[in-house]
Amino acid sequence: MEKIALKLTFKRGVHPAGNKNIAKDIPLSEFPTPSVVSIPLSQHIGAPAAPAVQVGDHVSVGTLIGRSSGFVSANVYSSVSGTVKEFITKRTAIGTKANHVVIENDGLYQESFLTPLTDLTAESVKARVAEAGIVGMGGATFPTHVKLSPRTPVDVLIINAAECEPYITCDYRLCLEKTKEIFEGIKAMMVALGVKEAYIGVEDNKPEAIRALSVFATQDIRVVPLITKYPQGAEKQLIYSITQRVVPEGALPADVGAVVDNVHTAYAIYEAVFLGKPSFMRAMTVSGKGCAKPGNFWVRNGVTYQDVASYCELLPETEKVISGGPMMGFAQSDLLPSTGKGTSSLLFLTKEEVAEGDKPISACINCASCASHCPMRLMPMFIERAVDAEDAAAAKKLHAMSCLECGCCAYVCPARRPLVTSMRRAKKMIKEKGV
Amino acid sequence: MNKFVVSSSPHIANRRTVSGIMQEVLIALLPAVIASVYFFGFYALFLELLCVGSAIGAEALYNKVMKREQTIKDCSAAVTGLLLALNLPATVPFYVPIIGSAFAIVFVKMLFGGIGKNFANPAITGRVFLLLAWGALMTKPWGSPIHWSDGGAFYYFRCILKGNSAIQDVAAVTTATPLSSLTQGGYAGKDLLKMFLGATGGSLGETSALALLIGGVYLIVRRIIDWRVPVTFVGTVALFALIYGGANGDALGYILPSVLGGGLLLGAFFMATDYSTSPNTKTGLVVFAFGCGLITSLIRFYGSYPEGVSFAILLMNILTPYIDKAFKMHPFGYVKQKAGGQKK
Ligand code: SF4
Ligand code: SF4
Repeated sequence: MEKIALKLTFKRGVHPAGNKNIAKDIPLSEFPTPSVVSIPLSQHIGAPAAPAVQVGDHVSVGTLIGRSSGFVSANVYSSVSGTVKEFITKRTAIGTKANHVVIENDGLYQESFLTPLTDLTAESVKARVAEAGIVGMGGATFPTHVKLSPRTPVDVLIINAAECEPYITCDYRLCLEKTKEIFEGIKAMMVALGVKEAYIGVEDNKPEAIRALSVFATQDIRVVPLITKYPQGAEKQLIYSITQRVVPEGALPADVGAVVDNVHTAYAIYEAVFLGKPSFMRAMTVSGKGCAKPGNFWVRNGVTYQDVASYCELLPETEKVISGGPMMGFAQSDLLPSTGKGTSSLLFLTKEEVAEGDKPISACINCASCASHCPMRLMPMFIERAVDAEDAAAAKKLHAMSCLECGCCAYVCPARRPLVTSMRRAKKMIKEKGV
Repeated sequence: MNKFVVSSSPHIANRRTVSGIMQEVLIALLPAVIASVYFFGFYALFLELLCVGSAIGAEALYNKVMKREQTIKDCSAAVTGLLLALNLPATVPFYVPIIGSAFAIVFVKMLFGGIGKNFANPAITGRVFLLLAWGALMTKPWGSPIHWSDGGAFYYFRCILKGNSAIQDVAAVTTATPLSSLTQGGYAGKDLLKMFLGATGGSLGETSALALLIGGVYLIVRRIIDWRVPVTFVGTVALFALIYGGANGDALGYILPSVLGGGLLLGAFFMATDYSTSPNTKTGLVVFAFGCGLITSLIRFYGSYPEGVSFAILLMNILTPYIDKAFKMHPFGYVKQKAGGQKK
């Protein structure tokens, strides 16, 4: 039976306040790059890039400074022109230590890019995406060339412009300001994958973006409005919303014939393929009531959070600094880390904006609210109990490995149980004990 | 360098808290409380406050003695106390609520680890305990609605002060509860309206179906309880009333009295919906509520007790872990663990 979905969506999930109005209408502008940048050599999931320059070397914008060290790895390019000053090890946004290349910015921004592609074939596009160091720019930072080389044939490309995390508006701005380029990027991706169908999923709280994208939509590349609900942009949920295909537990999207990529990734592919520009800069949202000058910026990799905080005027009320969105982002203890390819946003949140403090932690009351909102249909409260009892086998039987760490469970829990932490512990325990 | 708060995602949460949920339940019970005072006078309010007070007191004391973190602020003891009070007849002496509340809190809730860990609903178990221990006090004199005009507001206070004989007096003026005459059949429209509004005998909270409906609908609208439980529970009871009625030549005559009378609405909206003692999946909840309705009907029509709601819920509470086991929720993308087996 043909299923006609009027409004596309997935089951369960939550409706956090969007708070997108803070930055939504501020057009993208270039963030003033400071005189020194420190570019992480690990801006992606997988092996860190190996240093490709030495202290004292002169680099241009677009000079390779870190070489991909495996199939699941990515090249890193210089975002400024100037001199390599030193290599340092410091904390990244996700809390791991990584090697950083510190470059003194000469302020000239001399560019040396790759040559634009003229002949688009599956092989040439994939090679270019790999060469340009493009990774999933929604925040997952999975090397994109790996995604474009699925192990099974696929028939549909899904472009994620849902932007379901509150506050973040950089993809929205991109859809409005770089519409045509996004479509060019998608076409190149379709060539790489050999698919004839692509969908751009946008939540219906962004009608302007839907309208702008629809102007360029074709029979093959369609724009689909999605119901505004978190986590609409989660890979498996998005595939279900748009195609009604269910990715089996433990399988990849490609196993149901789909590849999902972020809209910013499509834009980065456009730049790499048609302009020869590697990945060293991205659109980023700075928002939250803890900064006086929020906005959407083109930020070069290697700008530190301190630089962002100074420019956007961090206010003393700020209680939490979050790299990424409030549902899945990483809280920062200080402003030392550098921005990278996956830094979609930096949020400065005040006490009233974050949940801490006004919601006491208590014992689980067994209300099953967490379970009834879990988009993966898990039983978080039982998994938490299994973790507390150090019972890895039970946690596995409760399908803890399927958890997205989306945070819906903890968001709704009236007892404010640290459920996501428990889910992570469960996964770790299952892996360690090898059950 | 500035230091910021670091904690795991998510960094935002909705407004619902445990105490907030419990307060919503208390608010939802307010119409029933008002109705109880209207129909039984101030002794009803006295009993309710006594129950709430002793429930909170018992929990506070237990925590103190056991050196546990104080938990009375979550308001769940207050809910237990009030629910127990609404399950008492207007004629019980004051020590009954104190013992009942303390029993419910200490033996049914706290000894099992406190909120969320108890396997049976404390208020119901408290009521059943009182039924077994003081059966006579708990069932015989249901007490009839008072008249506000001639000092009736304090009628039951006076009865209690005068001692047992006075209670017998009350019993004398009281006809059976609507339910005990259910099996004898025969209801006029006037009686039904009375049952709906509340001017009939019964425990404090049971008499007014209207008050309970207002509170119940409030809880559904506020999404505190799942509508499936009361709807299935009440629906099942209505269905069996239809069947029983049909067998007795009056198919429709039993439905309304069955639904409106006795503790059904109180149980279906406020007690079968208790989080820790009901299943965790939607299917499980429907099965659970159907079981409640079935057992209630069986006890009512064939059992020796006129009222079966409490026993039904208690029994289903005990079955809850098994229901949860039988009706597990399968994850999104669940694949049956069978060699070569495929699930679409
Ligand atoms: S259990 Fe995992 S997938 Fe389910 S709501 Fe919680 S974080 Fe999300
Ligand atoms: S939402 Fe929180 S309190 Fe409710 S069952 Fe889940 S963990 Fe327990």
